[in-house]
Amino acid sequence: MKEKTLSPGDYVRLTTKEREWTGWILESYDPEVILLKLESGYNIGVKESEILNVKVLKKFKEEKKEGIKFRRDESLPNVAMIITGGTISSRLDPKTGGVIPTDAEEILKIAPKISEICNIVKIEKPFMKFSENMDFKDWKILAETCANLLNDEKIKGVIITHGTDFLHYSASALAFALGKLNKPIAFSYSQRSIDRGSTDAALNLLCAAKYAVSDIAEVAIIGHKDLNDKICLAMPATKTRKMHTSRRDAFKVINDTAIAEISESDFKILKEFNAVNSENVKVDAKFNEKIALIKIHPGQDPKILEFYAQQGYKGIVLELSGLGHVPGKGAKKNWLLIIKRLVKKGVVICGAAQTLYGKLDPMVYENGRELEKTGLIFLKDMLPETAFVKLSWVLGHKNWNVKEKMLENCAGELNSRLGFEF
Amino acid sequence: MEIKAGLEIHQQLDTHKLFCNCPSILRKDEPLFEVERKLNPVSGETGKIDVAAVYEKSKNEVFIYQVYDTNCLVELDEEPPHEINEEALHISLHIALLLNCKIFPVAQIMRKTVIDGSNTSGFQRSVLIGHDGFIETSSGKVGIETIALEEDAARIISAHGGVKTFRLDRLGIPLVEITTKPDLKSPEQVKEAALKIGEILRACKVKRGIGTIRQDLNISIPGSRRVEIKGFQEPRIMIKTIENEIARQKECIKNNECRNEVRRALDDGTTKFLRPLPGKARMYPETDLPLLKISKKQIDYARKTLPKLKSELKGYLKEYGLNDELIKLLLKENKIEEFKSLIKVIDNPNLVAKVLTLYPKEIAVKQDRPFDEVYEILEPVFESVLNEIDKTISENDVKGVLNKIVSGSSLKDALKKETINLEEEIDNLVKEKPGLSEGAYMGLIMAKFPGVSGKEASDILRRILK
Repeated sequence: MKEKTLSPGDYVRLTTKEREWTGWILESYDPEVILLKLESGYNIGVKESEILNVKVLKKFKEEKKEGIKFRRDESLPNVAMIITGGTISSRLDPKTGGVIPTDAEEILKIAPKISEICNIVKIEKPFMKFSENMDFKDWKILAETCANLLNDEKIKGVIITHGTDFLHYSASALAFALGKLNKPIAFSYSQRSIDRGSTDAALNLLCAAKYAVSDIAEVAIIGHKDLNDKICLAMPATKTRKMHTSRRDAFKVINDTAIAEISESDFKILKEFNAVNSENVKVDAKFNEKIALIKIHPGQDPKILEFYAQQGYKGIVLELSGLGHVPGKGAKKNWLLIIKRLVKKGVVICGAAQTLYGKLDPMVYENGRELEKTGLIFLKDMLPETAFVKLSWVLGHKNWNVKEKMLENCAGELNSRLGFEF
Repeated sequence: MEIKAGLEIHQQLDTHKLFCNCPSILRKDEPLFEVERKLNPVSGETGKIDVAAVYEKSKNEVFIYQVYDTNCLVELDEEPPHEINEEALHISLHIALLLNCKIFPVAQIMRKTVIDGSNTSGFQRSVLIGHDGFIETSSGKVGIETIALEEDAARIISAHGGVKTFRLDRLGIPLVEITTKPDLKSPEQVKEAALKIGEILRACKVKRGIGTIRQDLNISIPGSRRVEIKGFQEPRIMIKTIENEIARQKECIKNNECRNEVRRALDDGTTKFLRPLPGKARMYPETDLPLLKISKKQIDYARKTLPKLKSELKGYLKEYGLNDELIKLLLKENKIEEFKSLIKVIDNPNLVAKVLTLYPKEIAVKQDRPFDEVYEILEPVFESVLNEIDKTISENDVKGVLNKIVSGSSLKDALKKETINLEEEIDNLVKEKPGLSEGAYMGLIMAKFPGVSGKEASDILRRILK
């Protein structure tokens, strides 16, 4: 196979029976197609079977990349950055045509104005993953990496770039595992990759940097408030959820308000916060991995709970309907009995609202009152995903009183005064 | 004067948007809301930031986008592109084949970096469809370098103080870009080639009217560098603009200040500097979409359904025995497809041609309403009305029925035979006003009963007067 001698980046002349094509070889993920970048910039595919002759005009030579040096300004605070992967640290790979992780420099090129706000002095890359590939162990690594940076007195705050899919899980995990913070932690993300002019990362990163040097010692998710490239919200870690597959304002605060509104020129505090202090942060990142999150739907067989129990699951968060209900006495498949039996056996079963918005109240309907008798823990206005992370964290600790801890407001996950945001 | 020139023609296709299902409708009313955005310079595949892109960025602009209910998240850069519009692809194959092009079996949809704000994404999606075609001109063959299918940009509404406002209605309308080889050697040949390509485009399902076709010219004279002149709306002004550009380039050579640049064609035949000519770094793949593969089957189907050029259509219509006037009208109003379909309803070419052109025109004049509006009302009923001929109405009644429908009658009411008995009415009239001339009676009859057939009335009248 003559084409085997070609490598991406080679400048070649391909002859087909139609004509000759001159251009650069790109890596093709279609085995039958040779991808070629023409002088015009367009990429075309030439079917391998139609190539009569190939001539390499110039072998590919890796060009040395010019690094961008960021000025350090001694009068500015220092910020550390943790890069974990996701769209915000992905860029187009010219060789494969796919999207690949990139480095810090590439990210900072997108928001050069950061250098007017702080010095990025340390960049950690504990792992590079799309967030949907992360799990409990990654939360622990992230928490430890973060704590080291927070306890470094030269550092004012931390920015974490993260994929969006499971970002709200990681943010909650850090909020629980790090407890009372001494400095800001800003999660930043993007929904449009940074290799396009319209990337939302530019504003998100800039606002994350402003948050990282602020006096707010809380874990926050920093991202677009709406469709405009104007204002970002600092959203509380345990009260925020990804609510859209693609919009740049995908993250919404639910059952709470944002901590602050940040723009290029403004920083508006919206509510009380834990202030920056000089204490050291301690990591408590023990997570129990045998936790499930189950959404209740019509006609569902409660035996699924027994299956989880047989598989060794210790905790289950149920997404309950309405004010906190499961199919009960009037249903063909009654959940109440099985829940009661499993709770008795020691499986912790909690309930969160399927509606996301609003608070559970088991007292309004009989169905709810019956459910309460089973020993299920009603998690009030806690988001199901936050409940999942919290239950994992609580059950990671052998001697804790599970019900008490689940109902204690540890990291802002419960809000006793629901306002009008909806 | 020896010139080296090539045309780049952009034509909007008459179909929904290229990468979403929004209709291609231009809006004049107030937007639903506006969105504010910024754009960043990004590096293409080569890792280098494009010169043209940096030039735009140096202006550090804010972009406002006007959003309508005919837009969706795709145009706002809030959702990945949908798969390419099949109809647009089909039309672009027609154009490529009529321009004698070969079709790319595999091509990658590209992102062309554009950060002047006219694309919310910061790029324009574009994909190659055909290559190596040609057209004939009186001074020889002109090669067609490539045919690309791409999305149109947003319309600029205003620009001041570093804030540009765009309307999203136009963004994403499918455009075919035709690039000729630099084979054009005189201003006259440029014009001829532009007209020729224009004729081919109009045979296909393309949009008509101002702004739906845009022509750019790449031109250089020996010793100067390639300059792109954007935005000829009128072929008429082309020759003058080219002559002015030749003079300008001569001046550049004299002063040793030639550069590759993009200029805008102005109405007075001169041009003004827009920006440096963009380089190759501005193209990178659209990673949200798979490779575009065009099968032999798709090409065969396009070949089978290839539209006819005007010159061919004339011959086709002549075979139906239509007179030149009606043929001209059908071509001008672009009603060939409608003619083909209605001729299957009733085998009366003259009537069908009149129904599609003359009758709506006359009704429009009579009722003092725009032709398009009248036609829009009538189009859905043409078939039903023609179907009634020799059942409830005669051929002579058609115009009257159409007229009533435009006036607001339902189809059913319009088809109701007039309760007037023409013979009786004319008889009464002659009795009331005896002794007038035949012409005078006809005048009175036609004034009293508009819409009746003149021939029918005059036959009856003659019978009565005998």
